[in-house]
Amino acid sequence: MAKDMKTPFLMGSLALGMWPALAQQQAVPADSVRTIVLQEVAVTTKSHSQQQHLQEFYQANRSATTEELIARMPEVSFIRRGSYGMEPTIRAYSPGQVSVMLDGMRLQGACTDKMDPATIYIEPLNLQGIEVQTAGAGSMQAAAIGGSLNMKLAEAELAGAPALSGSVSSGYQSAAQAVLEALRLNYATPTWGLRASGTYRKSQNYRNGKGEKVLYSPYEKANIALNAKYLLEEDLVLKADFIADEGWNIGFPALPMDVGEASARIGSVTLLRENESRRWSRLEARLYANRIAHAMDDSARPDLPVRMDMPGLSRTSGLYVEGSMAPAPNQQLTLRADASSSYLEASMTMYQPGQAPMYMLTWPNNRELQSGVAAQYTLQAGAKTQLQLNSRLQVSRFSVTSAAGRDQLSVFGYGQTRQQFVIPSVSVQASRVLYKKLKGTLSGSFNGRTPSASELYGFYLFSRFDGYDYIGNPALKPEQSLQGELTLSWQEPRLRVQLTGYASRVANYIVGAYEAELSAMTIGAHGVKVYQNEAYALLAGAEASAVYNITAYTQLVSTLRYGYGRSAGGDPLPMVAPLRSVSSLRRYFGDRLWVQGETEMAAAQHRTSARFQEKPTEAFMLWHLRAGYRLETEKKVWELNGGVENLFDAAYREHLDWGQVLRPGRNIFFQASMAF
Amino acid sequence: MKNNTWLILWALFATTFLTTSCDTEEDTPEPATAYEKIAEGQTETAHLKVEVYATAALTTGYNPLYIALYDEAGKRVEQADIRLMPLMEMTDKKHAAPAESPSSEKAVAGYFPGAVVFTMPSGDMGTWSLTVQVQANGQTDKVTLPVTVQEPATPRLKSFVLATDGSKYFVAYLQPQEPKVGVNDMEVAVYRMASMMDFPAATDLTLELAPEMPTMGHGSPNNVSPVHTGQGHYKGQVNFTMTGLWYLHLTLRDTSGEAGNLYFEVNF
Repeated sequence: MAKDMKTPFLMGSLALGMWPALAQQQAVPADSVRTIVLQEVAVTTKSHSQQQHLQEFYQANRSATTEELIARMPEVSFIRRGSYGMEPTIRAYSPGQVSVMLDGMRLQGACTDKMDPATIYIEPLNLQGIEVQTAGAGSMQAAAIGGSLNMKLAEAELAGAPALSGSVSSGYQSAAQAVLEALRLNYATPTWGLRASGTYRKSQNYRNGKGEKVLYSPYEKANIALNAKYLLEEDLVLKADFIADEGWNIGFPALPMDVGEASARIGSVTLLRENESRRWSRLEARLYANRIAHAMDDSARPDLPVRMDMPGLSRTSGLYVEGSMAPAPNQQLTLRADASSSYLEASMTMYQPGQAPMYMLTWPNNRELQSGVAAQYTLQAGAKTQLQLNSRLQVSRFSVTSAAGRDQLSVFGYGQTRQQFVIPSVSVQASRVLYKKLKGTLSGSFNGRTPSASELYGFYLFSRFDGYDYIGNPALKPEQSLQGELTLSWQEPRLRVQLTGYASRVANYIVGAYEAELSAMTIGAHGVKVYQNEAYALLAGAEASAVYNITAYTQLVSTLRYGYGRSAGGDPLPMVAPLRSVSSLRRYFGDRLWVQGETEMAAAQHRTSARFQEKPTEAFMLWHLRAGYRLETEKKVWELNGGVENLFDAAYREHLDWGQVLRPGRNIFFQASMAF
Repeated sequence: MKNNTWLILWALFATTFLTTSCDTEEDTPEPATAYEKIAEGQTETAHLKVEVYATAALTTGYNPLYIALYDEAGKRVEQADIRLMPLMEMTDKKHAAPAESPSSEKAVAGYFPGAVVFTMPSGDMGTWSLTVQVQANGQTDKVTLPVTVQEPATPRLKSFVLATDGSKYFVAYLQPQEPKVGVNDMEVAVYRMASMMDFPAATDLTLELAPEMPTMGHGSPNNVSPVHTGQGHYKGQVNFTMTGLWYLHLTLRDTSGEAGNLYFEVNF
């Protein structure tokens, strides 16, 4: 495949490593790991050379946000409430069942209404890559049952001689009259390096496929990231990261409120030793802290019965130590220990003229102290067989930290709000070359997840999805999942096909149960639901993908996915995306120009949850056209990208979109960049 | 392993940093009670000085009162039987009000605690006086002190009339005085107006409590309707899910099942 790739990857290039090379010595990525590579990796870090980069399929749109990028992975869906601030999920799992990490660090959104998943505080320009892990392999860093999404931060570089490099880019999208401006600078010396990047986005109300402006859908944000690297010893690096992200007036057309301001400060210090000749070939220790302040705002909305402020705050600090070694030439062992403390608080104040403000804690001040130990062991048994064992033991302690918070929860008779969870997880994965070019991977896992702060302590959190106020339950048991996954891949020099099927049974499934005796707090809400453990839920599904290099200059990429979920009572689970497929055909004209045609198809979803009064979604088909031109001069690389998304201006919505809000109609985009 | 010493030390340092940076948990301070002198006077035989204290200015509704007695030498009298008799004098008529005379003959920290439920404010309509009758050292004596009663910003006394026998009831609000979001003790006192001068405690009613936030149209869960605990006092629990204006709706039933409906406002 490398032969076919006439265009070398540069900064900002994007590829997907989907097929691990067969029977190689060094740490072979598991089949359940999908990686989007965003920045070409510096020599000092783990080489991706064995991973065969899928050409720029995931490079949908160079102005794309982190969430838009991730959305193109077949395993990932997004719950959409606005044009920005979408909540990622993997397969048919709910977002609470998936762990979203920033380079192994925990980062908690500060919004009780899930308007700020961790992904919104990160720009693609901050990232080196995005890794999605399904099956049990995802539980190495955190207890999760639906897999994990880890955003790897981009790093400063070192160079033989002092050198300044960088890039500047500018983009525009017509549907929302959105602009993107981005700047990156790298300064590298033999012993230290500095990387600074800044991104600014501003997007107006977008136009949907019916030609209507979708009100309350704009957003504006700025992001600054700094990374410094210093070589302490020949194989010992000290790294420091800092990200500041500010968002303003982020609209949520599917919700009754928008976000006034969302602000994140993320920092970490890392020591990293990498040396193949040492007993521990890689040792990393990191100390991190982050703070997110989030404020919902309804000042743009007319005719509300009550005006309200809803600020939220999240503070996390933690550390982890991770080490890898090879006990024998055909074995690889990675150990990890981590601990973190996450503090959350959120409140709501409603104003009525002539009355005392109505104030309550929507997240009574609470803290989760978690610590975990994890191990991954890989055994290359012969040229054709690989075994991998993953395990993690996590202890999480939740408590309400203020007397006001405990007083508030005592209204429900919750005397004991402290909870400790011990979450063990184990997974076994075996890969084997079954027949010539056919490789099979079978994995089985048992893992769990703690309830979230909302599920434990949430206080009348209104969900626009089903129109109920939700109340937490500190007596919840953790969810436990038993999962099996089978992947078959066929690999030829010019064709690669991969099929994955999975099924899991989630015991103690956490879901809101209607409580007739409680009266709803939110005006217009149907009633109150309290989180309960249900006996179990079943989730299953399949993904398929194919890459066919028809000629050296033409490539076809196609992905397909299907998910299925049902509750113990036989009711379909809500928020399960229907059959969905994306296919793209790209052709290079010489080394400089490429053109890509793309179709996106989704079947109708009529398996809807009656309990959540979920509405069915119609099928749709979209056509996109993209092109890129690239010019390399002696010292600079110029790139021009552009295209039309939703070419035929289809009026459509995805099943996971809340509130029947249509997605953008025809969108003409272009982006110009210059790298030096 | 020497190479890894820094790593271990670093991790230890980090752990210490983490575990010590936790917030301290909050504690609610005990509120200090301060008495305010409402009235004072010499008894008719001038043997005793009577001082009347309250926690705040007197208002329509239930007022806890604290009586202090001093003998001629100015020494505190710790042993006495005290009766409180409020009286409203209007141009054409006069009436008493419900009162709780100190139940013990012994003073508590120097004071004899009792209560008076003033049923209306002082003003053009008439004036209030409080007669304190003292039986101490084998002598019975009394003093009548003029007092001023104000209408509180939030009504703390309600009344209703039973349809069956036409008798009037007064319901006074006692608790919560310092409402908070969460579980609050709720207390009301109910009196029947037997005559213009007699207001016995109503002890056999059934109360039903339903809090409501009128602007939002919602209630709160797990309230405990007040039940009789003695002397016409009914105690229960009211839960507030947020600050703001609340109505505490009370339905009162006697043995015949007839009901009075009223509500108290709580705005915090």
